[in-house]
Amino acid sequence: MTAAAIRPVRPSLLRRLRTDYFSTPLDALVSLACIAAIVAIALPLLRWAVINANFSGTTRADCTAGGACWVFIKARFGQFMYGFYPPAERWRVDLAALLLIGTVALSFWRGLPRRALTVPALWAVLLVVDAWLLAGGFGLPRVETRQWGGLMLTVFLSVYAGVLAVPLGILLALGRQSELPVIRLVATIFIEFWRGVPIITVIFLASLLLPLVMPAGWDIDRLVRALVGLAFVIAAYMAEAVRGGLQAMPKGQGEAAAASGLGYWQTTGLIVLPQALRISMPAMTNEFIALVKNTSLVSIVSIFDLLGIAQASLADPNWVGMNMEAYAFSGAVYWLICFGLSRWSRHLETSRKTTH
Amino acid sequence: MTHLARGALGAALLAFGADAAGAQQLAPSPTLDAIRARGHVECGVHLGLPGFSFANDRGEWTGLDVDFCRAIAAAVLGDANKVRYTPTSVQQRWPVLQSGQVDLLSRNTTITFSRNVTLGVNFQGINFYEGQSFIVRTSSGAKKPADLENASICVAAGSTEERTAADFFRERNIKVTIINFQKNDDAIAAYDAGRCDSYTAGLGALAGQRIKLKTPAEHLIMTETISNDPQGPVTRWGDERWQAVVRWVLNGMIAAEYLGVTSKNVDDMRANSKSAEIRRLLGADGGFGAMLGLSNDWMFNAIKQVGNYGESYERTVGKGSPLGLERGQNQLWTRGGILFTSPFQ
Repeated sequence: MTAAAIRPVRPSLLRRLRTDYFSTPLDALVSLACIAAIVAIALPLLRWAVINANFSGTTRADCTAGGACWVFIKARFGQFMYGFYPPAERWRVDLAALLLIGTVALSFWRGLPRRALTVPALWAVLLVVDAWLLAGGFGLPRVETRQWGGLMLTVFLSVYAGVLAVPLGILLALGRQSELPVIRLVATIFIEFWRGVPIITVIFLASLLLPLVMPAGWDIDRLVRALVGLAFVIAAYMAEAVRGGLQAMPKGQGEAAAASGLGYWQTTGLIVLPQALRISMPAMTNEFIALVKNTSLVSIVSIFDLLGIAQASLADPNWVGMNMEAYAFSGAVYWLICFGLSRWSRHLETSRKTTH
Repeated sequence: MTHLARGALGAALLAFGADAAGAQQLAPSPTLDAIRARGHVECGVHLGLPGFSFANDRGEWTGLDVDFCRAIAAAVLGDANKVRYTPTSVQQRWPVLQSGQVDLLSRNTTITFSRNVTLGVNFQGINFYEGQSFIVRTSSGAKKPADLENASICVAAGSTEERTAADFFRERNIKVTIINFQKNDDAIAAYDAGRCDSYTAGLGALAGQRIKLKTPAEHLIMTETISNDPQGPVTRWGDERWQAVVRWVLNGMIAAEYLGVTSKNVDDMRANSKSAEIRRLLGADGGFGAMLGLSNDWMFNAIKQVGNYGESYERTVGKGSPLGLERGQNQLWTRGGILFTSPFQ
């Protein structure tokens, strides 16, 4: 209520438009040119995507209006979301997604008791339960990973690689700061190796080379191979983000903790890490957003994530030529996810501003 | 050594020899054993090629190459649906086959000397004679590449297609104008817009491109090709019996078309046909399936559930499909094509 009282009076919209965009002839000219450019791009896009688009029907023959043929997306929606996951079992994916959302919400709920312990435990349980729901076994019919696909696979790869990368990244960052030379060396080599190799190379090696060099009879699921590769790369990046946080910590914090008699793990776990992680949060979110987009690289080894399934569906002779629709749709979904994540991380930053 | 002992030894040797011959007839086949144990065929396919290998709206793999995987499953396991597909990219196909992740590749792969010899793989026949051809407007009247005198042809600059086409016309002293574009998509768009009289690419690619044109029905894909890219299923070296299974299921599908056996009449043919070859093909006589270590109705199942080669072709890439490809070279040798099979004798 006091905030409203001290907020400065905002000038009217019309007035602001005038002063901000049309105050001088040059400003006016630039503004007009920009408006013209936006209209020139947005209008045809709007015409294609909405005004002349086709929404109803079931085959390409129903697309007669000249614009986008969203019928294609409609016909393939199940595949875009679940890949080749058997329709009768798709409730499991939905349930796994709900559990994921619930876990995310709980992790950021301040009322949770002993959050430092319960949050990691919650995630560990979630990873196990969701993996069981998706893959089956123990009472549920098995669904092979080659049947997974679409958005579900993109989210799976992002969440699993991301969640595995966080603890690994923290350990690596601590290792790199360690006073024990062997640990420091191992952590540094790991980080520099995985940071130095392009993700595409990692995925290729994991998918092509690994099966050739492994002993016969040993067969690691190819999705798992890609997942582990992704997780290692992201862990290396996360480690560097965490190291940034560790180095931004005033030295006095650790020294004071040590002076009060805390050992290494207590100092790290109770004093240093909580603050360092808060500082590195934006950088870590950044890595996670990058990861979401990087999961699309698995499509080069024929794992049908959202982008892969969009491309694969273009090979159906009944839908050949729907490139624009396929890419526009999958692009929009990626954008929605990444934009949502970045807004959310901004919200986290502003809502928990702290100083030490 | 007494005569008696010598005779006994001889008999033992003879028995051993007969045994060895019997064993040789049914050499061990780890691949077949593995397929039976796991209950399905592992088939490497293209990750998405219109008409040849793609997942339809219901998520089922379909296409000419996929049909062959299905025929193998029907022949070996009696059920065409017992296949699991591994979609593969160009880079993936060989490692996936070599490392044993798939039992066979059925994936638009051109048979070449160096692949056969250096990669440790065998091609088991030809299921599609691919080759570079031309698409023209029906109204132009051109029916074969030699008719393209004075025509303009859109190609992607620096592509194999550009070189092959240029060589073809130069060697025959046919004057054409080749118009270069940065990318294939640009070249086909220019052709659609009327900037050139023709566009050139492989048959399969042309068929996929034709559907994207404004009015596909006004365009003709020439059946005569100017390059030679035979494609067929591939297996690893070793396991000769498995290789024979793959080779003879393909032969059997082609033979079935030659002999007039279709998925519709196959029951009747097995029961009533007088033709010795049909009876052997369908397992009524001869016990050919058993010689491969399969059940004698191996080809009966394949034809009943998948169809003969012609049925599969028409359904997936031919007139019964949106691609609408002519049979062209992929017609039986008795009907003007070069599609050939060896006899079931």
